[in-house]
Amino acid sequence: MNAIGIYGNRLPEMERVLETLCTRIGESRARMKAQTGMDPVEHVLARIKSEESMREKCRRKGLPETAQSALEVIHDALGIRVVCAFLDDVYALRNDLARMSDVEIINEKDYIRRAKPNGYRSYHMILRFQGYFAEIQLRTISMDTWAALEHHMKYKKSLGGSAALIEQELKRCADELASTDVTMQTIRNMIFEEGGEAQ
Amino acid sequence: MKLLIAEDTRDLNRAISVLLEREQYAVDSAYDGQEALDFIKNESYDGIILDIMMPRVDGLSVLRELRARHILTPVLLLTAKTEVEDRVAGLDAGADDYLPKPFAMKELLARVRAMTRRSAEYSGGELRFGDVSLHPDTFAMTSSNSVRLSIREFELMQALMTNADRSLSTEYLLEHIWKGEPDAQADTVWLYICYLKGKLRSVGSPVSISGGRGGQFQLVMEM
Repeated sequence: MNAIGIYGNRLPEMERVLETLCTRIGESRARMKAQTGMDPVEHVLARIKSEESMREKCRRKGLPETAQSALEVIHDALGIRVVCAFLDDVYALRNDLARMSDVEIINEKDYIRRAKPNGYRSYHMILRFQGYFAEIQLRTISMDTWAALEHHMKYKKSLGGSAALIEQELKRCADELASTDVTMQTIRNMIFEEGGEAQ
Repeated sequence: MKLLIAEDTRDLNRAISVLLEREQYAVDSAYDGQEALDFIKNESYDGIILDIMMPRVDGLSVLRELRARHILTPVLLLTAKTEVEDRVAGLDAGADDYLPKPFAMKELLARVRAMTRRSAEYSGGELRFGDVSLHPDTFAMTSSNSVRLSIREFELMQALMTNADRSLSTEYLLEHIWKGEPDAQADTVWLYICYLKGKLRSVGSPVSISGGRGGQFQLVMEM
């Protein structure tokens, strides 16, 4: 590892930008809570991609291990994961972020509407904010629980013959959880008398 | 396809078996009701042909025992022409069809085909409407995504898909899906319709359900 690190002297500024972005999400959250009486967010995690994983990612992509690669070519040096209670909260928060005048959306992938083949669901956004790229992952609690388990599965190599079975069962869980997310959203809508229809 | 024929007249039993085997069915022959029950205990069949008048245990008793044990295999009863009471009793006891003796072999074959086709449809091939498919073996509803439905949601979606050409009333659904459960009401149906609408959206399908609270429901393609 270089003494200086792959981000060089940009690190303090990255930390400041990440914190500002978290504050923005916090403001969004407070605004929505004031409107609906319900906190849309369960918890927020923010991280700067570790030195080791960033260098590994550069090598994997055949890029020189420089701050330029890490901050201009790769877009997830700054990462925030927002875990919401309900499905509609994910989209409400996404819309709130998109409305911010100084936030530029570079790319979005709706893995909730179009789940990955293994069952993974989340809403991914790449933003540009105050000169930095950041990846925002928005998901519900059940999607988060699923992803946590799937993450362990990916790094466990000793599964042998049962790997296919576990993958199939994880996919089934993902589809059941997705179903429950819609059910809970529908019940919430019914409680708040919006006619029961999820958005 | 495996069939059981229970008929005590040896010649007729033999003739039917040969005929069915020629049509590529696998056939077991029983010569009285008790023997039929013994076969059923050890084998599972796609269809059963039961004569009513048999020694030891008669056909109706075999049928009743089958249904009491929740064996839903389709049953074709062979009855004498005059046995109206038996036919009524047979159908009420859970027979799917009956054929009065004497019958043409051609007709027997047609009824066996109809009976086994019906059970194949029941036990559920996959159902389709637009880009949505419903899988009875896993309860999965699939378009560009898939979700797993609960049993009630599955039954409701199945009813909507098999009646896609007409709308189903709240009362019909309460009677057929909720089977008149005392706690079920129009709002229950509406909530489940809303679940399905949400889940259709979440699998990324343009299919939705028309109709409002307490009304008539039908699958529609949303533009």
